[in-house]
Amino acid sequence: MIVTILEIRAQILRFIQKFQLVVEPVVKFIIAFAVFRCINNAIGHQEQLMSLPAELLLSLLGTFTPAIILTLLAAVVSLVHVYVASPLLAILVAVLMVILYCFIARFSGKYGYVVLAIPILFLLKIPYVVPMILGLVATPMTVIPVACGVIVYRMFEVIGSAALVEGATAIEDILLLYIDVIDRLLADKLMIVNIGVFFVMILVMYLMRKLSIEYVFEISIAVGAIVCILGFLITDVILHTQINITSMVFGTVGSMLIALVFQFFRLALDYSAVERVQFEDDDYYYYVKAVPKIHLTVPERSVKKISTNKGTEPEEQKAERLAFLQSGLYSETEEQEEEDGEL
Amino acid sequence: MLNNRKVRLMTRLAMYEQTEGKEDVRLSKYFQTDYVRVNVLKTVVSITFGYLLILLLLVVYHSEYLIREAVTLDYRGMILRYVGLYVIILTVYCALAMIGYMIKYRKSRKKLAKYFRMLRRLRSMYREEDGELTDLEEENVSYDSDNT
Repeated sequence: MIVTILEIRAQILRFIQKFQLVVEPVVKFIIAFAVFRCINNAIGHQEQLMSLPAELLLSLLGTFTPAIILTLLAAVVSLVHVYVASPLLAILVAVLMVILYCFIARFSGKYGYVVLAIPILFLLKIPYVVPMILGLVATPMTVIPVACGVIVYRMFEVIGSAALVEGATAIEDILLLYIDVIDRLLADKLMIVNIGVFFVMILVMYLMRKLSIEYVFEISIAVGAIVCILGFLITDVILHTQINITSMVFGTVGSMLIALVFQFFRLALDYSAVERVQFEDDDYYYYVKAVPKIHLTVPERSVKKISTNKGTEPEEQKAERLAFLQSGLYSETEEQEEEDGEL
Repeated sequence: MLNNRKVRLMTRLAMYEQTEGKEDVRLSKYFQTDYVRVNVLKTVVSITFGYLLILLLLVVYHSEYLIREAVTLDYRGMILRYVGLYVIILTVYCALAMIGYMIKYRKSRKKLAKYFRMLRRLRSMYREEDGELTDLEEENVSYDSDNT
């Protein structure tokens, strides 16, 4: 069973390596398409942007440009949608985005795409997968882009609920709407709770995975999931955040599975063949524990064609065969009949 | 004949050059102090801009109150309070940015040093492979010594 799974893993990895030139753009395209689909479903107001050709075109643009362009495109598309619903709110969102960039997002470095991934995965109900994977591969500093992503998502949530009550044109009404949105944003407990729980998850997983125990990555994923569920439950009891507990638990379990699959493809270790060595040099005494990676060599399965293709028979061979037939050792008619039958 | 070791080394070099290497080479053009200073300056600009935007939002938020109390407001205290807050935020950010960019610069230098070590290894491989390079160098050396 395990060998089969490992074989499949090796085959998939080899396939990806072999067709990297094709697989990479395809995956990027699917991600970009999912991003625009989610945005359109969640806050779609602009009809033209919601049409399939526009979505495909935007996704194609996101496929062949760096990740930062996709983030930018997603931000612009969201802003356009909000603008159609309410110009005032769009201005507010744009200003908040710039503030967010100035204070936090510009320090996110190479994890900038996390800012985009969190809101999208929130819409798919599995945002917990991001801190889980970051806990496996990154440092706690990645809480910066995670916090940005959470803020962006909550901002759109709050504004989405505000846009429903909108219909104001008079200046006083606009001011009231603005004050209302700001009040709601500042009073948004869920934003703080999400950032806090995600940060604790990343931190705990980061500290866990430094331990020298067997199956440390799998264990830290499980611990991350427990921290996530407990964190949201405790904060719900204390702060009455009114989160949907079933959706949170299922989302966490789903995220855990995704993280496990990710970990399985990233690194498969053979803990049954751990080697421990001890040695010393002038300055130190070393205790070394070496865990081998699993390398399976998948047997090449090649299909060998037995039947000769008569249509492409080389001239020399044909002449040889004819000579052989003419020598009378073989009845030509039989052979001829067979050929006719095949045709 | 393909030299597997050389191909492997060159691939690793090329991989580094095309990903992290670009940034590291760019960083190596600065001295550490210059690099940190430029980035702290950028941070100052962006924090100032962001803070101004926040102030703008605040002014709009309290606009009714501000207009109503325009005559009786304690402008001096208000300005002092917000400027003070700005200075505190700026100081914290600058300190963090300074530490962060310093660490980043050092890490990048280390990676670059490793890259150069690999380059040297490649060079020595070439030298092993064919005597041409060594001959050439010997010529150069003799030429140099002639000159001096």
